[in-house]
Amino acid sequence: MNSMRSTLLSINNLKKYYPVTAGIMQRRIGDVKAVDDVSFTIGDSEILGLVGESGCGKSSLSRSILRLEEPTSGTIIFDGRDITFLGKKDLRALRKEMQIVFQDPDASLDPRMTIGDSIAEALIINSKGTDTEREQRVTELMAQVGLETRYRSHFPHELSGGQKQRVGIARALAVNPRLIIADEPVSALDVSIQAQILNLLQDIQKQLGISYLFVAHDLSVIKHMAHRVAVMYLGKIVEIGDKRDIYANPLHPYTEALMSAVPSIKSKAQGRLLLRGDVPSPLNPPSGCRFHTRCHRVMPICSKEEPQLNELRPDHCVSCHLYR
Amino acid sequence: MNNSRSAESRPVRIHGNRRLFLYYWNRTKQNKLAIAGLGFILFLILLALIGPFFTADPTHVDFAERNVPPLGFSTEESIYDIKTNAFTVNLIEGTWKHPLGTDGKGRDMLAMLISGARISLEVGLLATLIAICIGALIGVLSAYLGGWWDNVLMRFTDIMMTFPFFLLLVLIIFMFGPSLTLIVLVIGLTGWTGAARLIRSEALSLRTREFITAARALGASDARIVIRHLIPNVASLIIVMATLSIPGVILAESALSFIGLGDPSQTSWGIILNDGQKSLDTAWWVAVEPGIMLFFTVLAFNFLGDGLRDAFDPRSNLDAR
Repeated sequence: MNSMRSTLLSINNLKKYYPVTAGIMQRRIGDVKAVDDVSFTIGDSEILGLVGESGCGKSSLSRSILRLEEPTSGTIIFDGRDITFLGKKDLRALRKEMQIVFQDPDASLDPRMTIGDSIAEALIINSKGTDTEREQRVTELMAQVGLETRYRSHFPHELSGGQKQRVGIARALAVNPRLIIADEPVSALDVSIQAQILNLLQDIQKQLGISYLFVAHDLSVIKHMAHRVAVMYLGKIVEIGDKRDIYANPLHPYTEALMSAVPSIKSKAQGRLLLRGDVPSPLNPPSGCRFHTRCHRVMPICSKEEPQLNELRPDHCVSCHLYR
Repeated sequence: MNNSRSAESRPVRIHGNRRLFLYYWNRTKQNKLAIAGLGFILFLILLALIGPFFTADPTHVDFAERNVPPLGFSTEESIYDIKTNAFTVNLIEGTWKHPLGTDGKGRDMLAMLISGARISLEVGLLATLIAICIGALIGVLSAYLGGWWDNVLMRFTDIMMTFPFFLLLVLIIFMFGPSLTLIVLVIGLTGWTGAARLIRSEALSLRTREFITAARALGASDARIVIRHLIPNVASLIIVMATLSIPGVILAESALSFIGLGDPSQTSWGIILNDGQKSLDTAWWVAVEPGIMLFFTVLAFNFLGDGLRDAFDPRSNLDAR
């Protein structure tokens, strides 16, 4: 599937470390390795689902791609252009190409701005059109995300969570981006609203051919949305590939465990693989394979050598010593 | 949250800022004390603006009519007659000509109080305006720029905070002579520290909110984020802080005047109070009347400030009252 699409975004060996300092002299005592050597690509009008437990670096990764945070090392290639070290001015031009939809729709809207103003701001910043043209575009965008025009002069506190998330999506769409990073866009919403927002995002993607990096911790949401899936654990991608292949045949023990945790009507007989313990600290990750402390198929080599991502099948890579 | 619902069902669509204003007005309205305070302040402003056209000249001295008590009161004045070598006792009653009486120099108290209202409001509003502007600027910049700037600005605030402002005032008045402009400037230029710290902490918590990140992701400039997002969101805090700091400034000016460091060319409440305390046994009203005015003015601003704070705080549940 991937081979059919041209690459829009390509991440190579991206690292994002947060220095940890101590004492008056701000001595550096270590790094939180939020994103550690991550590589993947997103094709044109492709949805890449990114799953992982909370704290595994999903948000750091998405914010680094948007250059909202400076990556420590690695390269980000967007549409054939290296944007890793883009200056302030070029970066602002890039903002039109990539947008973000946030997890908490309440926090992502300015409480003192009307819905119309919030959406229009995206147009004003990128100096698009005259006042009347902007008015029209706002009406258009609101219709596109299924919001009645009468909400234009409402304030965020007068809207429901689902409506607020629609505003967030409209704001992201305002600049006609080619990539939207959706950072857990539905995890703060009621289940009944989740489906509406997911369908909206899917419809928009089909209509406009935008690519998504769809971040979630809910596997059933990813299954519904994504074309390809990347599984992240402690700052690293442990398995990535075509969605159908991964869901039908998870290779990495961590993916296996995640899959077994998805509630299902059919597969009641299959036992759940319970992960014991907590995610280790990214400040001091385990040696070798980072998952070996919790893995149910751990081998002696796992604590010694770090596995590399291997392409086991077409478009299905896994990083595990079991498959060498 | 009943208010927001009723605002939603209202058929007339009112444009953005006016709707937000109405929303807060509806919330403020529920606090009776705040409305009483607001009423008193408006009354005082009106009095200061148009009062002088209807009253006598507050500086007009008339010794024939000295120490006239307020309407409805009377005092006895004993006069020593050198020929008869005896005291004659005169009964002085309040007259309609001087409804609030006169002071020891025969100046009309009503006219003096009204002129004092103007001065007190001027001092309170101007000094607060200066202080809040500096405080807001330093607080917001400190929070938004962070790092090195934050350190420098906050240490500067600390130094200003520990600086004995009263001493500075006494020194400046000693050097340049007492003048109202100087008092306003000194209070304004030294009184911003508390506001700066509070506004900084509020802006700090706002800075990490996602709508600021969203604006950055859209390519908004720093200036735009500060002006369009940070300042409007700390505006409620700024209004409350200003309202609550006005009475402090008015009291500070009165206290200065009371200890004799005020501007003697202006009849501020503090100056009248200072005059009146010397003749408390013969003409109590000279000290009591400006005291009552001060008391109610300070109270009115405090009530209004409290009411605004509750109205602006989305967490305070006004309906539960």
